[in-house]
Amino acid sequence: MRVKNYKVCCGMFMKTFEEKWTAWLDDELTGDERAAFEATLEDRAAAEAEKNQARKLGALLKEQLQPRAMGNEEFFHHQLRERIARESAAEAPAPNDTPVLRETWWSIRRLLWLGASSLAVFAVCTFFVLRQASVQDQSQYLTQILNSRVDPNVSPDATVSSFQTKEDRVTVLWVDGLKSLPSEYAAK
Amino acid sequence: MNRAHLRQTMHTEATPAEADVPDAELVRQAQTGDTAAFDQLVGRYRSRIFGMIYNMVHNEQDAWDLAQDSFVKAWKSIARFRGQSSFYTWIYRIVMNVTIDSLRKKQVRGATEFDDAIQLKEIDPASRTVPHADALPHENLENQEIRGRIDAAIAELSPDHRAVILMKEIEGMQYHEIAESLGCSIGTVMSRLFYARKKLQGLLRDVYENV
Repeated sequence: MRVKNYKVCCGMFMKTFEEKWTAWLDDELTGDERAAFEATLEDRAAAEAEKNQARKLGALLKEQLQPRAMGNEEFFHHQLRERIARESAAEAPAPNDTPVLRETWWSIRRLLWLGASSLAVFAVCTFFVLRQASVQDQSQYLTQILNSRVDPNVSPDATVSSFQTKEDRVTVLWVDGLKSLPSEYAAK
Repeated sequence: MNRAHLRQTMHTEATPAEADVPDAELVRQAQTGDTAAFDQLVGRYRSRIFGMIYNMVHNEQDAWDLAQDSFVKAWKSIARFRGQSSFYTWIYRIVMNVTIDSLRKKQVRGATEFDDAIQLKEIDPASRTVPHADALPHENLENQEIRGRIDAAIAELSPDHRAVILMKEIEGMQYHEIAESLGCSIGTVMSRLFYARKKLQGLLRDVYENV
């Protein structure tokens, strides 16, 4: 049944002369296929002679090349078992591998921790630096105090202070210690 | 050698209980790491595989080593065997890959195709191909000469052609089995057979016409 099915399958796929010839030689063609192929042969007698020769060749090979007996089969088996065991052992992870892996893993972890700590310190420093900078930036008063004394002959205890706000472009003068302030009086 | 012969071989190489276990079951057990099951599979096919490889390489030591390599490779990859073909076809594919690869490497290294190691004097007295002890001396010599001629002619073929002709003529395999084992199309198998036969007919015509 298998051969019969195969013959159908074989006929479907045969394309070249070589394939058809081989199938014809091995009697693998169905009746219709064989008839169709034989009709294409120019010299039927020569083809039959060659088929006969191919069969003689096959018989000769079969007779002369019968599989050589394996000597020492048990030793072959033993050697194979040993080899499989050896190669399986070589492929399995060695016990010493584990500490090496741990060591490697520990180093990686330590590196990760070191990196994370460095990042944290950097972040904290950056935060404070930026905060300080922003305090300065956020301060609306860049105060410049001008301690200058007014004319000591007139008011020996008088002082004048100046407060400036750059953004608002405002300057406040604070005068203290004057008993009276003459209209022409001005801070120096 | 046909399948009936294979079954016969199986019975001679395994105990009856072992021989009853189908290949598929042994494969399943081997896939779980059961080396004893794999041992049984080896026992069933080692002789046949060795014989096939020997006919390809014509050197007993090489055939031994290649058979070992093939079985080790089979053990390593048996977990990937899905059972879509028979174990026999599957392992034959491994055997052919290993053997053809080895032959190609030898050719690349510049070795002559016909291995000088296979001189007539090296034919193992235990070989089945050697005539029986009761054969006459001149018959022995004649058979050895014929075998030598055949080996030399086969050595003229490319590894792929060698594999195809041996699988067809000696193993009696079907085209589709050969195609599966070699990983090629049926058409390729038939085409290779055509050319291999043509070449061998040219080289051995006087032998098979006079035998």
